Amino acid sequence: MPVKRESTDAAVFSQSPALAELSVDQIAATAQAAGEPEWLIERRVEAWSFFAQATPPEWRRTNLSDLHPETISPPVEPQGVEIVWDDTLSAQGVIFTTLKEGLQQYEDLIRTKLDTAVAPLEHKFSALRAALWQDGVFLYVPKGVAIEAPLSVRYTLAEGRKATFPRSLVILEANSHVSFIEEYQSDDTDDSTLAGPITEIFVGEGGSIRFASVQRWGAGVYHIGGQKVVLGRDANCEWTSVALGGQVQHIEAETRLEGDGSRVHWIGATFADEKQNLVIAPWLRHVGAYAESYMEFKTVVTDEGYSVFDGMIKIEHESRGTSTRLEENAIHLSPTSRNDSIPGLKIDTNDVAKAGHASTSGEIDAEQLFYMQTRGIKRDAALRLIVMGFFEAALNTIPLESLRESLAEAIEAKI
Amino acid sequence: MSNDLIIKDLHAAIGDKEILKGVNLTVEQGVIHAIMGPNGSGKSTLANVIAGNPGYEVTGGEIWYRGQDVLALEADERSKLGLFLAFQYPVAIPGVTVANFLRAAINAHRAEEGKDPKETSIPIAEFRKLLRDGMKKLEMDESFAKRYLNEGFSGGEKKRLEILQMMVLQPTMAVMDETDSGLDIDALRIVANGVNNFASPHMGVLVITHYQRLLNHTKPNVVSVMIDGRIVREGGPELALELEDKGYDWIKEEVVGHAS
Repeated sequence: MPVKRESTDAAVFSQSPALAELSVDQIAATAQAAGEPEWLIERRVEAWSFFAQATPPEWRRTNLSDLHPETISPPVEPQGVEIVWDDTLSAQGVIFTTLKEGLQQYEDLIRTKLDTAVAPLEHKFSALRAALWQDGVFLYVPKGVAIEAPLSVRYTLAEGRKATFPRSLVILEANSHVSFIEEYQSDDTDDSTLAGPITEIFVGEGGSIRFASVQRWGAGVYHIGGQKVVLGRDANCEWTSVALGGQVQHIEAETRLEGDGSRVHWIGATFADEKQNLVIAPWLRHVGAYAESYMEFKTVVTDEGYSVFDGMIKIEHESRGTSTRLEENAIHLSPTSRNDSIPGLKIDTNDVAKAGHASTSGEIDAEQLFYMQTRGIKRDAALRLIVMGFFEAALNTIPLESLRESLAEAIEAKI
Repeated sequence: MSNDLIIKDLHAAIGDKEILKGVNLTVEQGVIHAIMGPNGSGKSTLANVIAGNPGYEVTGGEIWYRGQDVLALEADERSKLGLFLAFQYPVAIPGVTVANFLRAAINAHRAEEGKDPKETSIPIAEFRKLLRDGMKKLEMDESFAKRYLNEGFSGGEKKRLEILQMMVLQPTMAVMDETDSGLDIDALRIVANGVNNFASPHMGVLVITHYQRLLNHTKPNVVSVMIDGRIVREGGPELALELEDKGYDWIKEEVVGHAS
């Protein structure tokens, strides 16, 4: 039976101090009171110390001028973590639970992987996330187990919440398969609210994952996230990144093709309207030999929306025979909208099979509009059809029909 | 109100370059009317201007159809008035399936001011049947409906899709812009059959072509010759055969002769 459960056991602060008033001692005491293991408390303390002394990163294209982290209060309510899955899968050894619960039973398993993909001390915000994360999900799929129906988690915001720091940890053992959907959703908020999620996914030898990450926060939310998928030998990842919501988004995402023969197909869909500023920096990092990667991102901007695609292919010295391609296509629907596309390619080896990138940016194709209009379709309806078609390939990869449909509606509403 | 397509002293330009230099032409209801002419004579420009392509600037003249000033209408309004253009180079639209596109087009035609689109839209079963019948007539595989519009289509597939659109939208005046170009013999036969099935006493067809090829299958009632942005001669089907036989140079010479 599919079950839906909500987390109730988050480590919470007894009061709601602003970040500026928090101390290392309070962080440690709160974690201790929640029964966290010593190593985790040490990590939080270290991350907090880093946060407290670090200057904010200089992200030229991410407008954080209205975000004042020092005034933000860490959550006092339990995290909004909604897990949906078929719990009969646990008979096959599958674990899908909140991270807090997971720590009680599978501490060693979590300890070996947590924080090893997304580095906690990279910059001020990564340290903040690592210090204050409240809860999230732990998904573990044992060797050889293939799960067809998608498992999903939805991170939400309780009313009046000023900050949320959820995290997902996914471990796939050899030759296993899973579809995993991670969704961020909330109503609009009046004040700026900070969301700092961390996602770490490890796919073992010959394993495969279909991963969809969907950001649809309400207006007013600042999403500063880190996501990383690490692929073992012959592992395969199909990744869909959807960004529709929030006020400002800054996502640093990476697929690390560590194992020989690993593969990733990464599709993105970003739509920035009104005054949204949606930045994504997806990296393909090639480490293993004969690994293959393909990234295709689609971006639409309208009103005064501003999106940034800061994609990068990095081919490390030890890799061989890499085959990779990165593409971004952007459509502007208004003269005041803007998209910066900054595709990069850094190669530190002489042994590359194929590597290339391309990006296009422009208004909607006048010939396409005319063609549709000659069939009686009004200009605005034609425009809608063309934009929906532009996102079609990305939406088709979402492994849940109800989510696909609601995303299509959300996109149509923005056009 | 006339059901003929009437074009009077039409001038049109792309940028600074005048392409149509005073076209006078009447395409009568119930008639297959061919326009022939050498490359660059302005035939495709005429087709695009009739359909309302904003890439062309109309610098003078008039187009009238069913009592309406066609030049005052948007491209979609011209379609609803019964005009149709089969494109020489149909555009690919990724992510939009043939079926979804056709349904959107049909529903746009059925839409009525002040009525809920749900009320006027075509019932799904009726649409499926319409699509299936049309594709069968054009010898198209059913999988065609799920493909993205013109994306990766062969030349023949694109032209068949143009004819399919004409069949489901049922215009009363169709302009076929070089529909025969890039077709093999089989595709030409299928497309020509499509045009022949479509033609009726209530409909006019303007066939724009460079060659006689399509006209062997689709017999025109009237043939006009276009050279350098003007209609320079009009005749019966025998004119097409003469052009096939002798080329365009003799007409060009005669026209220049008349002018001087």
